[in-house]
Amino acid sequence: MKVIKQTTAAAAFHEIKERAESHWRELWHDKPVIMVGTATCGRAAGAPDVLQAFRDEVKKRKLDCPVIEVGCMGHCYAEPIVIISKPGYPPICYGYVNPVIAERLVKEFILGDNPCPEFVIGALEANDLLPSFDDFPRAQHEQKIILKNCGHIDPTEIEHYIAGGGYNALAKTLGTKPEDIVEEVKRSGLRGRGGAGFPVGRKWQYCREAPGRTKYIICNADEGDPGAFMDRSILESDPHSVIEGMIIAGYAIGARYGYIYIRAEYPLAVERIQIALKQAKKLNLLGNHILGSSFNFDIILFHGSGAFVCGEATALAASIEGKPGTPRPKPPRMTAAGLFGKPTVVNNVKTLAFIPLIIRNGTEWFTGTGTKNSPGTAVFALAGKIVNTGLVEVPMGTTLRQIIFEVGSGIPKGKKFKAVQIGGPSGGCLPESALDLPVDFDSLQEVGAIMGSGGMVVLDEDDCMVEIARYFLEFTQRESCGKCTFCRLGTKQMLEVLNDFTMGKGAMEDIDSLERLAGEVKAGSLCGLGQTAPNPILTTLRYFRDEYEAHIELGKCPALMCQHLIAYYILPDKCERSCDACVGSCTVEAISPNKKRIKVIDQTQCVKCGTCLAACPPQYNAIVKLSPPSEVPAK
Amino acid sequence: MKTVSLTIDGKKITARPGEKLLRVALENSIYIPNLCAIRDKPEPSASCRLCFVEIEGGEEPVTACTIDVTEGMVVNTRGEKALALVRAGFELLMASHALDCAHCPANGNCELQKIARHLKASLKTKRLRLLLRELPIDDSNPLFTYDPNKCVLCGRCVWVCRQNIKSGVFGFAHRGFERVMTTFADEPIGADRCLDCSQCVEVCPTGALSFKEGKRPSTEDG
Amino acid sequence: MTASKQETTTEEREQIKQETGQILNGFSRKRPGLIPILQKVQGKLGYLPREAMTAIAEYLDIPAIDVYGVVTFYNQFRLNPPGRHSIKVCLGTVCHMKGGYITLDAWKRRLGISPRETTDDREFDLDTVACVGCCTMAPVTVVDDKPEGVVEPTRVDGILLAFGYERETKDKEKSESD
Repeated sequence: MKVIKQTTAAAAFHEIKERAESHWRELWHDKPVIMVGTATCGRAAGAPDVLQAFRDEVKKRKLDCPVIEVGCMGHCYAEPIVIISKPGYPPICYGYVNPVIAERLVKEFILGDNPCPEFVIGALEANDLLPSFDDFPRAQHEQKIILKNCGHIDPTEIEHYIAGGGYNALAKTLGTKPEDIVEEVKRSGLRGRGGAGFPVGRKWQYCREAPGRTKYIICNADEGDPGAFMDRSILESDPHSVIEGMIIAGYAIGARYGYIYIRAEYPLAVERIQIALKQAKKLNLLGNHILGSSFNFDIILFHGSGAFVCGEATALAASIEGKPGTPRPKPPRMTAAGLFGKPTVVNNVKTLAFIPLIIRNGTEWFTGTGTKNSPGTAVFALAGKIVNTGLVEVPMGTTLRQIIFEVGSGIPKGKKFKAVQIGGPSGGCLPESALDLPVDFDSLQEVGAIMGSGGMVVLDEDDCMVEIARYFLEFTQRESCGKCTFCRLGTKQMLEVLNDFTMGKGAMEDIDSLERLAGEVKAGSLCGLGQTAPNPILTTLRYFRDEYEAHIELGKCPALMCQHLIAYYILPDKCERSCDACVGSCTVEAISPNKKRIKVIDQTQCVKCGTCLAACPPQYNAIVKLSPPSEVPAK
Repeated sequence: MKTVSLTIDGKKITARPGEKLLRVALENSIYIPNLCAIRDKPEPSASCRLCFVEIEGGEEPVTACTIDVTEGMVVNTRGEKALALVRAGFELLMASHALDCAHCPANGNCELQKIARHLKASLKTKRLRLLLRELPIDDSNPLFTYDPNKCVLCGRCVWVCRQNIKSGVFGFAHRGFERVMTTFADEPIGADRCLDCSQCVEVCPTGALSFKEGKRPSTEDG
Repeated sequence: MTASKQETTTEEREQIKQETGQILNGFSRKRPGLIPILQKVQGKLGYLPREAMTAIAEYLDIPAIDVYGVVTFYNQFRLNPPGRHSIKVCLGTVCHMKGGYITLDAWKRRLGISPRETTDDREFDLDTVACVGCCTMAPVTVVDDKPEGVVEPTRVDGILLAFGYERETKDKEKSESD
């Protein structure tokens, strides 16, 4: 019986795979291919116009040159990004492309033989002509496993995914006993990538062994951490990896239905998942009797309606049930009584994307990367004051310093590193002294942060640590569901105190009472949101207490960020009489020349937007920020 | 029937397995502060966060309303760690409660006053700031008045309202600090859907729902 | 956010009921349908008027307050008709640290409204969004569902100018075709 099933599934898949591979070969056969990255980050930077320019140009010149859309390669700093693969050349990646450059690339590279090195970021393969990505310092640390396909395949073409080995794991799974799949995932030591790092295999086992016939698998794609976009990028760039992971999970735990709970703020990801589901269904990789086996499985797409707390599993389930997303106390665990009261596994997007790879390549392959207790790779969304913003994937155990300074190329404009914020509103701010920490689930917890789902925001000397704590509290306070006392009222109390601090109000004792309240909210709250909400306060107090003290004692924001504690001032001896740049730039007409034609800011009108400072020509550099505002000399 | 024995504050107690610790304590005349616990409701809401106790062998205090009693359990309702949390939760509630006992119909019959006595805590918090919302008072119902500024969001009225009317009048709306016990579209309660059974007033632990002058039923079936 | 205080005419109410009814027919009468129903109705009507909420409650046989509770819980749902253009300022961590709050101030100043409000002429909605995941383009403002990168106060004026310009040219085209 078992054997027959296996051959059916394997045979059915073999046919699909053959076809996909032949289509893939055809695409690349003896002709150039232009790939334009059109994930959200690319679109925001103008990728649609670039795509259109390539298409127009290719059409105008009647070229046999497919122009395809791909996802995000991770080099978001250089969007719009285009890869051109031309026979006789290595595939070449271009950055900051615009329609004019697009036209030139067609004219000079596709038609001619000039690869236009001035627009090249790097070649994808080592070669004698151009520098390749492998030559960059970051290549030494980067190891793309779940981001491998991102930016290299068309996410709306299932055959691209299959040609690269996709759905092999599913075919293999269908010929294996579900409990063996659970065992395999357990042995891999894979830990949940949503933040807490719970062992995935154990979760699956609890659910599989829970009594009852109806079970659910939910993919948590409600990526709500401000400053995190890893899941969005994977869903937009390689949706089938997540879908395949879900089908395998469904098979392993014995679920008939799965839900993808996806943020409404990610319209493109929704669209691409919808296309992917349709395609998978068409090839019988989803639906009834998958690949001729006796396994039936369907995926329902659920659009989250905007509530950060729904990232919490019980709140997420309540939301699917048609209720407000308020968490409930645990136990019972989700794996015992989850969605509609049935045993349910909730896994993060990245977690599920790892599954097909583990099944396909085996646990030894997986545990070969990363650390003993945190195997595999970690995906981070690098953002903030860092040169190479974008997505990076590095083995667990890579240090923060390596990620920020070698992969991310450090801080722009020669500024000084101050802190790195990891884990979003639930995480913490770590100082320079923590930079040599190898990043994994356990080490980050020791220093007061959490792995979170992978947002990493780098802060420099211009960023105020009191303000960042205030910012996160404002966020958690706004996103608190309001059910339990500590989170509803405690976050509000803490926010009020921090608001005062950023305005220079408050007393030194308030710092201690804030710290005490933070501890109480952490211990007293019902769910993870409230329990971790104080982390940004606790870590900034731990590592940057002096900044708090400066705000309160001196009314001074050392980073010159807090608007109430700074003033913009035009240095009279530096201001150039003939220049009016600042006057024109001011959004509220607060700047005017005095009798000597030296420009003066009317402090009562100034809204402190900083536009004038940016407008002042660098050769004069006459505008400065002062803190406290009383530093501005009287007339 | 099978029973389990446990110790709460040194007192030996037998209980049915699977029962919640809070319920067992209260039935044995051991008071643990609570607001959101509802006897017949199967799932604890665990939202008021006032029933923290310490259990021997456990590191952190836990809410008694969510814990099943087990054989040999040793519970301390007076542990310093637990009481510190209870006090903090209580202070948070009081900092957002329109405090005016002298003019409050619930004066003398108020759970908040009872909890304050139990904790030997002041009703007025000193270390937190007052965060009041100044929501409009609804006196549209002929029998009772609803003052949301005194509401602690325990959910007792919402629960009882749904036991009596299939399509309940009360529910929670909005989120976070704005969360409020209210009616559809924040309409006056006095409108057509309420049956005036006034059981919501009976279960309210504070003065948020209170009878109007002379409207308190004098007999049990009043 | 409170329920729509705007007066609707009997005709409008009838139309709301009819359109809501049409959408409801495509759903089973089960509670888990609530959020997808609300999304679809709002997609059609632009907001969730009182009549739509009561019709949904009736259809699903749940208390009307439960519909109201869900609508007011989630950021996505609105109780008032939207403006013609939507301006959403991203306040993700990176956008905030790179001056998103200053951009928000600029929008507030120029439009004369606060987040979650609509201008009197119903042209613009102003709102904030937690993070649209375009952190590399910070500060971001999403204008009519299109994320615009590096929106600083001067760019705010530029975007508004473009709308003014667009309106003018449309008017012109109209007058020309008349």
